[in-house]
Amino acid sequence: MEFTALFLAVTIVMLVAWRGPRSLALAMYAAVLLAAVATYLHHATDTLKLSF
Amino acid sequence: MTQAFAITLNALSLYAVALVLGAAFAAQLVLKELPCPLCLLQRLQFAVLAIGPILNLRFGPRSSHYALSLLAAVAGAAFSTRQVLLHIMPGDAGYGTALFGYHYYSWALIGFAVAIVLLAAILLFDRQFEPDAATAQAAPNIAMSAVWLVIGLTGLNVVSTLLECGFGACADNPTVYELLKRGS
Repeated sequence: MEFTALFLAVTIVMLVAWRGPRSLALAMYAAVLLAAVATYLHHATDTLKLSF
Repeated sequence: MTQAFAITLNALSLYAVALVLGAAFAAQLVLKELPCPLCLLQRLQFAVLAIGPILNLRFGPRSSHYALSLLAAVAGAAFSTRQVLLHIMPGDAGYGTALFGYHYYSWALIGFAVAIVLLAAILLFDRQFEPDAATAQAAPNIAMSAVWLVIGLTGLNVVSTLLECGFGACADNPTVYELLKRGS
């Protein structure tokens, strides 16, 4: 469900970028990027078996 | 680089994003392999990458628009790097089918790295930020069709992820379309 919401949000940002005000597109872009990073942190729970 | 040429390059970059999104869809449908959450995040970042060029086509090239795409590419590279590291140990078969010797997340990492280099390269040309007479007109048809193609493919992902994940959290290793399973 979270990915459906994210793709829907990106579709809306694209439409706003193409047809709407620039400032709104920029604000929505920031929100989508933060949501994508938050989703990544939520899913990235497996421990990486690596040593550097 | 004139502004008109920069706009043409931005339109072409949208076709490149459309190609990536289309190829991901083709692999999903032909090979019947459902994308995992990390795979979907990488696909999402390719779509986010397109927002900068769309803004450039609408408002003219600006460094801030390229910065948006750079941020999306860096995030996408981080997501794909994590998946590469998850499967980097010897003996690990990786997730999904390999295409030309590399798994999709490896191709994604290469794609985001190429995007970062190309974005840095196009930022070297300052003349594109000076308006010229040739770009005073509306976006050319090639640009308009590129924008609607990318928007359409991103919209298709809304439907695809809804079918795959249903109304709950997406499975870590999806094997069936949740919404179709419930309906049958």
